[in-house]
Amino acid sequence: MERSARPSSSTVMSEPSPLKPEASSSSSPFPVLSTGSSFSNLYNRFSTWRKSLDLPNPGTIENLTKEVKSTHLTNFFFDGGRADLTKALSANPAFQVTHSFALGSQTQPPSYNFGAVFANNNVFLQGGMDNEGNLNLRANQGWTENNVTKVQGQISSQVGHSMLQFEHDYQGRDYTLNFKAINPHPADWSGIYIGGILQSITKNLALGVESVYQRPDPTMSEVGLSYLAKYTSSDKNWIATAQAQSGGVLQATYWQKLSEKIEVAADLQMIAGATRRDAIATLGAKYDLRMSTFRAQLDSTGKVSALLEQRFAPTFSFMVSGEIDHFKNAAKVGVGVMIESSSLTPEEMGMTPADLIACYMHIALLIPPVVMPAHALHLSGH
Amino acid sequence: MPSEETKERIIKAVDFGRTILHYGWIPFIIYVGYTRSNPQPSLIKCVALLLSSRLLY
Repeated sequence: MERSARPSSSTVMSEPSPLKPEASSSSSPFPVLSTGSSFSNLYNRFSTWRKSLDLPNPGTIENLTKEVKSTHLTNFFFDGGRADLTKALSANPAFQVTHSFALGSQTQPPSYNFGAVFANNNVFLQGGMDNEGNLNLRANQGWTENNVTKVQGQISSQVGHSMLQFEHDYQGRDYTLNFKAINPHPADWSGIYIGGILQSITKNLALGVESVYQRPDPTMSEVGLSYLAKYTSSDKNWIATAQAQSGGVLQATYWQKLSEKIEVAADLQMIAGATRRDAIATLGAKYDLRMSTFRAQLDSTGKVSALLEQRFAPTFSFMVSGEIDHFKNAAKVGVGVMIESSSLTPEEMGMTPADLIACYMHIALLIPPVVMPAHALHLSGH
Repeated sequence: MPSEETKERIIKAVDFGRTILHYGWIPFIIYVGYTRSNPQPSLIKCVALLLSSRLLY
């Protein structure tokens, strides 16, 4: 009784009141508060009803097409030669550094990238610096199970190439909220601001809306809306999504898990604007074998591509990729190795094969003047 | 609206912060990684790592 008479109409009650709403409002000793408590009862009834529907959380807006992206090889494709040397320094919390080399690509200049990753249960920190001095960074901080703040960006010495994005995700019982600020400048609050919600409507269907507020400078601003829909089958074996953006950009995807090892995905992107009409369809499949992953993809621009990642040992894997563009009569081939070394004993320190390779590649490719100190350090470490 | 002078100051502070982030982010991760790692690696590796990241700048 006291609980319902408390003026707590504005606060969110986590558990529904066990009392009947009629009984509690009529027995309230304060007539002024009765409207408040009836409001809170209404709220409690609504939240009880909502809880009884038992709708699942629809996942984040960013991960709407996650399954499709991990099945297609668009995000994994590379050409030319590539070597990634990873050194795991600690397992829990995870801490590792990576040296990545890329050479001979048709589209990218040769590059070297040094990366560091640190992660524990709540914090994820990642940074990478390439040979031109461009930094890319990523940091996630989980406050509670449902609240995550993310920062990601790219910082370059060239003017106008830097980007910094702040993001907050809240995952409720049956909905997800997301807020993003891209390049916000505290002097005049220019930048791009995005807010979105994704709400489960039934056990399978989730609908969402995302609004983009662009403000390149204080004198002009523009608002755009995009709509999202996601249908997940009851056994979670297939997912269909659709997105419509204000500029007439439509995207529809379909993903299905055919068996434990095989996933297929289709993606259709359309632009139906006043000045431009275009569409791309992509079909892809992914095979997860015991020691390897194979991805194959075909799209409507005439490209056929495939990527094989073969793991020979827990610390060594090998990748081959290829793409044929039938319309342009062009082809790309890529070969890569990934070597991982974990030196958690001091004896191994500084003298693992990967380290030696990294050291020699450093010496050969980058910095002839520091041969001696780097070498001396490694020897003294041993 | 802040005055022109304040704006100027904010712009300078943002530029300074960006520079700190640019050159300090990877050393910061390595510092955090080394102080929180279990077991904690020896200092000489830390110095070697910091050097190898420094070489890029």
